[in-house]
Amino acid sequence: MDRREIRFRGVGASPGIARGRLFCFMLPPPDVAARKVTDVDKEIGRFNAGLERTAQQLAEMGERISRELSPTIGQFLEIQVMILEDRELKTEVENFIKVYQTNSEYAFNEIMKRHSEKLLASKSKYFQDRTIDLWDLTHRVIRNLAGIKHTSVIDAPKRTIIAAHDLPPSEAALLNPEMVVGLACERGGETSHTAIMAKAFGIPAVLGVEGLMKRIQDNLPGIIDGYKGVVIVNPRPKTVSLYNHRIREIQSYEKRLDEFRGLQPFTKDGRHIELSANIELPAEVIAVKKNEAEGIGLFRTEFLYLSIGEPPTEEDQFEVYSWVVKELSPKPVIIRTYDLGGDKFIPDYEEANPFLGLRAIRFCLTEPDIFKVQLRAILRASHYGNVKVMFPMISTVEELKRAKVILKGVMGDLVREGVPFDENLEVGIMIETPSAALLADRLARYVDFFSIGSNDLTQYVLAVDRSNLKVAKLFDHFHPSVLRLIKSVIDIGHKHHIWVGLCGEMASDPFGLVLLLGMEIDELSMNPLAIPTAKRVITSLKIKDISSVVMRCLEYATALEVRRHLNKCLRSLLPEEVLGPPV
Amino acid sequence: MIRERIIIENEFGLHALPATKFVKTADRFSSEIKLIKDGITVNGRSIMAILTLACEKGSEVDLIVDGKDERKAMRALKRILQGKEDG
Repeated sequence: MDRREIRFRGVGASPGIARGRLFCFMLPPPDVAARKVTDVDKEIGRFNAGLERTAQQLAEMGERISRELSPTIGQFLEIQVMILEDRELKTEVENFIKVYQTNSEYAFNEIMKRHSEKLLASKSKYFQDRTIDLWDLTHRVIRNLAGIKHTSVIDAPKRTIIAAHDLPPSEAALLNPEMVVGLACERGGETSHTAIMAKAFGIPAVLGVEGLMKRIQDNLPGIIDGYKGVVIVNPRPKTVSLYNHRIREIQSYEKRLDEFRGLQPFTKDGRHIELSANIELPAEVIAVKKNEAEGIGLFRTEFLYLSIGEPPTEEDQFEVYSWVVKELSPKPVIIRTYDLGGDKFIPDYEEANPFLGLRAIRFCLTEPDIFKVQLRAILRASHYGNVKVMFPMISTVEELKRAKVILKGVMGDLVREGVPFDENLEVGIMIETPSAALLADRLARYVDFFSIGSNDLTQYVLAVDRSNLKVAKLFDHFHPSVLRLIKSVIDIGHKHHIWVGLCGEMASDPFGLVLLLGMEIDELSMNPLAIPTAKRVITSLKIKDISSVVMRCLEYATALEVRRHLNKCLRSLLPEEVLGPPV
Repeated sequence: MIRERIIIENEFGLHALPATKFVKTADRFSSEIKLIKDGITVNGRSIMAILTLACEKGSEVDLIVDGKDERKAMRALKRILQGKEDG
């Protein structure tokens, strides 16, 4: 194989830089050729042993995943175990072996082929798609029968870069940051499950790398640049020294951040800003604690739904929510109800314009049964700590009222059933549509808090889809139109005696943070990794120095002028290290 | 023996989770349990058979329960098929 340096481009899906040796995660197609067997009973014994071994592997994996990531995915593996324990299926295969006197690999593959054909004949895409799971299971059993070791990311040696066509969720969940330093996949993008998990584990990742697997092999040296979305195989000495330099810079930057973790987020003139974290997976609680966040300002719940493509049960949700709540108690955890739709695809809902379609609260209000199950789980979890509930994408007063009626109904049910929950639980909404921002005074009467979703608000105010590369550069949360709306929402909230927070990338941008501070925001919620920098920014400023900067920014006509002004005023006020890692 | 026609009302049909629940529940009873859809009869204790019956939302199935605890079993299993229970 070629020993020259090869560069691949992809999407930087999890930040960071890693150097290591490649470990190719590949599942060879199993050998299912028919062979005659003479001792049928012995063959049946071999078949049963293979099933048992597979069931045991899956059960262990399921337990680990349930514990550390999501009981919903764990339960998914439990179903696979149940299939392996299905007596009727076992009898079918055993009979096949007896009648045709063939090896178990062939017999099992033939029987599973028949079953998957039945699924493929279904009219529902959901059932058709399940054949993928069935084949995953079939191949696992056959590899075990043939004694082929199942490749798993768990077997990766130290300082490994995993290279794969795609990682199934069951494998992505097993990534161990102590062994795996980086990840490169041919498939997947910024919002894929692999990206979410890599970020949660803090493993630099580049996804969507076309043609990767054809040109690499195990053990080749490689570099993953998760900032720029670059994978380099067989780096030249010059490339290596360049990256070594950057790794050192990043390390020293992170060391400096360590010193900020313990800071209390008070400005020099004594104002406290609550700093909380956005999370998606229970595993991220570790990062929340490590970075000393004051709570969770946004607990996204779509992952539970999307990871299995169907609504998770009340018990599964309760388990996840209550675990996170207990871990962080008495700190607050704001659980946002499903924000499905938009770029987070709901099975069987196809829309020409999903961002303007049946999204988030609109979806929940048309599927009240799914919504109620989630609210029950959130309310039950509220008994175990400090929980607040938040509705996304509210754009009208009617939507908020309807959501609250449903919440009241669920509370009534729980009271009747004698199930304990926090009856004074705070209820809030995301302010992320222009309508909600303009109607903030009317909406404030019905809620305990606002959380401004700056990413979506910017997108809707400027009418820019930032995933569309042709217009993405028009997306700018420093646009005066966005800033004016944010300022007015904060003021209105305070006038109505409710607290106002913001969750969105603006909160972790040092300049954005300064602006929000000047607008007297009460709470900021961000990626837990951004919290130390935010603390450093807050503790180095006085509110009175920045109020005038903010007032000035609101007067400008363009985002460019705002940025120029911020640059001029803040470069001198802010410590150099908060302006980001040296990349 | 009791036989009832039931319309599947789960959002995604009798998908993985309710199918699991169905089999687990069926195992609690001693009666014989069968499901019929489009003329195909399957054993109600086999997860594979139930999944591959591919009962999407709105499809009609016949549930047949036969044995000592058939009434109780029918009640419990019907709730799952109708999506009245989580699963």
